[in-house]
Amino acid sequence: MNYPTITYVTEVELDLDALMARVTLPSTGAAVMFSGIVRGSTERGNAHETRFLEYEAYQPMAEAKMRQVAEEIRSRWSSVEGIAIVQRIGRLYPQTPTVLIVCTAAHRDTGVFDAARYGIDRLKEIVPVWKKEVSPNGEFWVEGEYIPKPGE
Amino acid sequence: MRVKIFLFAILSEYVGAKTVELDVPAETTVAILKELLVKKYPKMASAQKSIMTAVNREYADDEQILPLNAEIAFFPPVSGG
Repeated sequence: MNYPTITYVTEVELDLDALMARVTLPSTGAAVMFSGIVRGSTERGNAHETRFLEYEAYQPMAEAKMRQVAEEIRSRWSSVEGIAIVQRIGRLYPQTPTVLIVCTAAHRDTGVFDAARYGIDRLKEIVPVWKKEVSPNGEFWVEGEYIPKPGE
Repeated sequence: MRVKIFLFAILSEYVGAKTVELDVPAETTVAILKELLVKKYPKMASAQKSIMTAVNREYADDEQILPLNAEIAFFPPVSGG
């Protein structure tokens, strides 16, 4: 069975329904979708307001690493059917979806929740995308903490 | 040999360009290339320790020798999502 795998970086608004439909098969009975959203008001840690985020990607490598994340998901959860991993870039305002991960499976108790969770966590580790946070008080580039190993 | 380097996020702001080209000796390592770049663009010094490297779109460490005609990229730890 050739399951759909959708991975790309885009400047266009994410159509969550359309992406969900593309990874939903006749055999699908469960879909887990995660979407990251621009948070306008942060309370945890250093409380602050956000005017917008400016996303940038190393697009060819980002898309290659997204395909790698999808392969890693398939190697860990053979029950997963469709996978969508999509990152939006450009200037994104609060309450806007920035990233989308969808994993589908026949049933909900097949690890499909864990698979989607792995997808977003892994994207944040190895997919070369960056965001600049612009707040009323200034701007700064957000830096991750994970250091990938050579070839990872 | 001449190498073209793609820069992202804060690194491209430090340099004021998205790409730079440098002439380097054959068998140059990633570490030496970083040093040459920092020498040319001193603003990058503050970020030098945390610069990540990709060679031909794969993560590389400081010891890696640059292959001929490689696509090289320097960038900070990723922060997508």
